[in-house]
Order: sequence, then structure tokens, then C-alpha cells
Amino acid sequence: MKKTKKGMPLDQVQRGGRFRVLQVNVESASLTQLMALGLVPGVEVRLTHRAPLLDPVAIEFGGCHVSLRREDAAQVTVGVC
Amino acid sequence: MTQNIVLIGNPNTGKSSLFNALTGARQRVGNYPGVTVEKKSGIWNLDSKHSVQLFDVPGTYSLRAQSPDERIAVDVLTGQVEGLSVPDLIIAVVDVQNLQRNLFLVSQTADLEIPMVIALNCWDQAEKKGLQIDCALLASRLGVPVIPTVAHRHQGMDKLASAAQQALLDQPMMARPQWPTAVQAALDRLDRELNQQRAEGLRPGELQRLLFDRSSSVQNRLKSASCECQPLLKEVRRELYRAGYHPDAAESLLRFRFLNPLLGDIAARQSAIIQRSRSESIDQILLHRFWGLVVFVGMMYLVFQSVYSWASPFMDLIEGLTGGLQSRIAPLLDGMPMLQSLVVDGMIGGVGSFLIFLPQILVLFLFIALLEESGYMARAAFLMDKLFRWCGLNGKSFVPLLSSYACAIPGILSARTIADPKARLLTILLTPLMSCSARLPVYILLIGAFVEPLYGPGIAGLTLFAMHVIGLCVAAPCAWLLHRFCLRGQPAAPYFMELPAYKPPNLRHIFGRVYASGRDFIVRAGTVIFAMTILIWALLYFPRPPELAQQLEHDLSLVGQDSSATMDALQAESARLHAIDAAYLEQSYLGRVGKWLQPVFAPAGYDWKITVGILASFPAREVIVSTLGIAYALGGDVDDQSSDLRSRLTAAKWESGPMAGQPVFNIAVALSLMVFFALCMQCGATVATLAQELNWAWAIASFGCVTFIAWLAAVATYQISHWMLCTP
Repeated sequence: MKKTKKGMPLDQVQRGGRFRVLQVNVESASLTQLMALGLVPGVEVRLTHRAPLLDPVAIEFGGCHVSLRREDAAQVTVGVC
Repeated sequence: MTQNIVLIGNPNTGKSSLFNALTGARQRVGNYPGVTVEKKSGIWNLDSKHSVQLFDVPGTYSLRAQSPDERIAVDVLTGQVEGLSVPDLIIAVVDVQNLQRNLFLVSQTADLEIPMVIALNCWDQAEKKGLQIDCALLASRLGVPVIPTVAHRHQGMDKLASAAQQALLDQPMMARPQWPTAVQAALDRLDRELNQQRAEGLRPGELQRLLFDRSSSVQNRLKSASCECQPLLKEVRRELYRAGYHPDAAESLLRFRFLNPLLGDIAARQSAIIQRSRSESIDQILLHRFWGLVVFVGMMYLVFQSVYSWASPFMDLIEGLTGGLQSRIAPLLDGMPMLQSLVVDGMIGGVGSFLIFLPQILVLFLFIALLEESGYMARAAFLMDKLFRWCGLNGKSFVPLLSSYACAIPGILSARTIADPKARLLTILLTPLMSCSARLPVYILLIGAFVEPLYGPGIAGLTLFAMHVIGLCVAAPCAWLLHRFCLRGQPAAPYFMELPAYKPPNLRHIFGRVYASGRDFIVRAGTVIFAMTILIWALLYFPRPPELAQQLEHDLSLVGQDSSATMDALQAESARLHAIDAAYLEQSYLGRVGKWLQPVFAPAGYDWKITVGILASFPAREVIVSTLGIAYALGGDVDDQSSDLRSRLTAAKWESGPMAGQPVFNIAVALSLMVFFALCMQCGATVATLAQELNWAWAIASFGCVTFIAWLAAVATYQISHWMLCTP
């Protein structure tokens, strides 16, 4: 796992660590919906669980726990807090 | 005219509890026209004189209408539902522990220019966490009354009522964001072209839905031709993109930018408090990659076992009552054989044939309600999702498919928990292929008669297991094919699921849901099943020319004289009656159709009697056992354990044709018949439930397809096993 200043996809971060959302690629409808829940750039996010087959993943932001598919999580770029 | 008030809010905010607290028992539950979305309305007494109509719309996170539920929310708020005008007031239910996220929807709604009151629900839990919110400050910032409530304890209801009453007079409107120039320009252009030039009469909130959402229900109801509007919308969205705002993302960014300063000091304190909740500690185990699965499998085993075992005494009771009633009523109608048969076999048997499913439905729904209300269902779907996704299903398909091993009907009904319409459709279409418990009598009869004597109990057990797996083996590729080729056009619904905080389930809600599922089944599916049972009864009964019985009796009396010395009188009498029944069956309309259709089933090795059995078992699979009993002249009250039926089946010979004189049943026919019953949809209740949950077109199409697959598999089984096992 590389941590660069440019950020990395949310599906590859260390489980449990806190990260800040840098960018959300809204090409997928799931992410458009998640943005309405508050997953917008600037928000702190944490990857809380990976499912047994590594997909989907569970994340937490602003006190809200959500499970989403890995391919969608990959469209969210995060950086270190 | 009574005024309309609508309750809106995110899922899991206690909106239903609030609705129940406000309306008490005075509610009506129905469906919105054309969709299976629950419509709840009730009377809310604001004070002793003033009462209003309260409507509950399904919980949604935003007005970006995607699922049918969310579309309904938009339609209700904009007064587009038949018989419902634009609401006079909106009560926005907000979970106080998650202000920012909850207020997003509220802010979208504010743009529809409807007066509003905010109910800050779950106030008690916020207090427990040490969260303090200045309601007066919040109210002054948002511009609408803010009332703290604890819906499940009925706290704050009086204040909410008086606030609502005042709001109906004052018409308070919530503060709305100031849009950046580019966005405002786009909205102005839409206003100009749609409202001023084409008189669409859309409110700002509706224009925003057109601008920000790729497919909104507002688009579908524009009066102007879509060929005029589509290019306009495309162009406006493209312009917005060029101005630096991605149309899909802009609304969320801008609204949160508007809300954050309003909630700044409140929300900052919130996120510090909501760190590691108790739910999260529970999830450390329940979502664990290994232990989570162990708990899940254990839980599902428990559910499945209970559906099987808790329900069976009640099923036996219903069966016993039906049988008892039949034997009580039958002598009363002795003089009228037609009426007797109609009442006893047709009506009482018909009612019994669908009531028998009720215990399993109630038990399964009890568990589903418990799992959903406690918050576990979302976790189960999380664990299972990947396993199901390759064929277009998702994690929530697991429970319906598993429970279909007990009975497909509760399985189909429980697919309602799947939000994605495509995954729900696929799940429903697959449930009939799971080997339900009604197939067991057929397996037991045929395995007992043909497999066990030849190959021993070990292979018999294996065969039984194989019959339970074969449906799954056929279902998975079918799902994949449907997913890849037939339903390709349908976009997959956005997949994300909130993992709500665990909470002790509310018993009233749970029993309410169990009751509703039972009532739905009886009212909607029951009537159809009843009608089908009567129809099959009539086809088996008519025509019944009296000459046939006389002719037969004459023939039998000739034979009877020879053997009367050896056979005791009672046995002779019952053999005579059974022979008459068998002759009537052959003469009946269904018997004739069976004979006519027999060539279709000939490649699977079936004679006309088996074919009639298959036709007659359409209302319920188990019926084949008793129909075979009649056809092979044993009378209708045989069961799968009846050794008489077994010996009759082994002894049955082809009456004519190329194989005349050879036994009808051999191991190949038995296997083929089992495979046919493992796959076919010979269950009127399932077809009726499919029609209820989807529509008749899907029900008939899937019946046809499944029957064809079953026939194909039966023919293949017969041909292969005949070649392998029966050729000397």
C-alpha cells in the first residue's frame, strides 16, 4: 500500500485508518447517491470492514455506516488526514 | 376539505414510529397506483376540533428519484399522485444524531415551496450521548419550527401538533441555498423555456430535479414532447459542466456547502461524539471475515430449521382440520354426489391447499422482521453480496432463496426486501426452482419404490440430496443468462446500503408486519389458488355419464362372481369403487387431455396416467400422489408411505403401443419423474404469488419456461438413465 500525496483509491486504504476525501468520481449512480448522504470532498472517511470475499466494503463518514461495492469505492480518492 | 400533511425523512429515522404515534389505530394501508410501494395514510387530530390527513411516504435519502420508493416520494410531494393534491404542510423527520445528512433531503424538499415543520427525532438517544442542540437557534437559522420528539415513547407529540396547526396558518418556509451564477443561469433558462414558453408550471424544486438528476420522475410527466425537452436538458447540463459544475455532483456539493455553516457549531460537536458506537463493537464480530460468516451460517440454519419445524405442527393441524371437516361434511351430502364432491374435494380441499402455507409464511416473516428491525439484514447482505453478484443477484437474495427450500411462496414475498428491482425480479424468478418441501412426497414415493430396493439406502439418500441440489444447478446458469441477455437493458440500481445502528426490535412493528404478510397472502394469492383448485376439480369430475358406472359394474359383477369366494366382501366393494373412480378419471376432460398430451411426455417415458397426474397436480405438487392412486385404482386417500401404491406402480404395465406389456415404471422413469417435479412449477400458489408480486405476464412466462426446462431435463434424464441402467 503506497501513500502518496496525490491520494489513493478508498478501496485500498488501511482498514480503520482515517482519511480525507479528495475527489469523488461521479460516473456511477451509487456515488451520486452517496454524495447526497454527505460523502463529499473534505469529509473524513474510514474503511471499517471488508466482506469475506474482499467485496463489498463498509465505510464510515460523519457517523454514517454504509456498505458499497469495491468498484465504487475505487472511484473515491482519499488522502491522509 | 381536510388538509393533507406529508411525513418525509431518511430511512431509519423512526418515521414509521412517528406516523403510528400520531395516527394511532386510525390508519389505512394500501398501494400506490401501479407500483408495489406501500401507501400509508391516517387521521391526525391536531386538537379536539381540527383533524388532518397524514400521509407517510417511503423513507429516502434524497429526491434524486431512482427506486420506485423514491419516485413515489417526489410524486407525492409535487401532487402528482392520483387523488392527492400538493400537501399543505410537510413534517420532516430528522434523526438528531445525524443532522447534516438528514437535512440534505429536507433542504431539497424546501425548494418545492411547501410549508414545513421539522421533528428532531431520537432526542432521547442524543441526550444519552450528551448531545445538546439548541432547538431555538436551529429553528431561527432554518426558518421553520423545530420540535424535539421521541416517537417510540410518544414524547413531543402535543408540541408537534400545535406547531403543525400554527404552521398551517403561518406557512413557514425553510431557508434555501443561494445558487452560484452558473447554476442559477441554468435554472433560469429552464424556467424560461419550460414555464414561460410551454406553461409547464414547475416549481423551483422540480426544475432542480430536471437539472441535477439524470432520470427524474419529473421528466416523465412533462407535457411538452420529450423530443423537445431532452435536447434542452442535455444542453443545459452540458453548459453547467463547462462552467465547472458536474451536474451529477453539483447539488450535493452546493447543498452541503449551504448547510454546513448553518449547522457548523452543532455538527462539529456531533462528529466528535459519534466515534465508536456500540454498534461498531458488535460489528467487529458480526462483520468479521471469519466469525461473521460463522454467525451468519448459524443464524440461517436456525431460521431454516424453524420455518421447517415450528410450522409443521400447525400444518399438520390444518391438514387434520381439513380432513376432519371433509369426513364430517361428506355424509351430510350423501344423496348428491356432484355437490358432495364439489364441497368436499373442491372447496374444502381448495381452502386447505392454500391455508397449509400460512404457518411457514408467518414464521419466516417473523424472522425476517426481526432480522430487519434489529439491523442485521443489512449485515447479512454485506457478507453474501459478492457470492451472488456474478449472476445479477445481490446479498439480499440469500434469504428468499434459502427459505424457498421450505416453500417458494414466503420466499417470493420476502424478496420485497430487495431494493434493486432487477435483482428482485431475478430472485423471484429463481425461487420456484429451489426444491420446496411439497416435492418431498414425490421423492419419497419414487425413491422408496424404485431406487431403494435396487441400490440400497445409501444411494437412496444420495438421490434425495441430488434432487435438492439440481434446482440450484439449473437456477444459477438461468439467472446468469437472464442477467446477461434478457434484462440487459435495465440498468443496475445503484448499490449501497446503510448499516443502521443495532436496536432492540419493536414488537408492535414486528407483529404488524407478520400480520400484513399473512393477510396479503390469503386475500390475494388465496383467491386465485382457490379458483384454480375448483377448475382442476371440475376438469377431473366432468363429464360423468352414469352409463359408464353401470357398464363397469356389469363387467365387474361378471368377474366378481368368479373370485367372490376368495375375496372378502368389503375388499371387493372398495376395489369395485376404485375401479369406477379410475374409469371416471379416464373419461374426465383432464383424462382425455392427458391421453392427448401423452406423446409430449413419451420421450420422458410417461404413460397417460402419469401425464394426467402431472396435469392434475398443477394446483399443488403433492396431488400427483393421490392422482396416481386414483389412476392406478387405489382410491384417492393414499399417501407417499403407502406400500400398496408402490406395488401397484411397480406392477403397472403399458396397455398399448410399442411397449405394451412392459412395466411402465422403471428406474429411468422414476428418476425422470423426480427430476421433472424437482424443476417444474406445478404449484398454483406459486404462480398466483408470482402474478401478485410481478404481474400475470411474468407469471405465465416463467411457468412456461420452467415447465419447458423441467420437461427437457426429464427427457434427458430418462434417455440417459435408460441407456445406462435399463439396457441389458
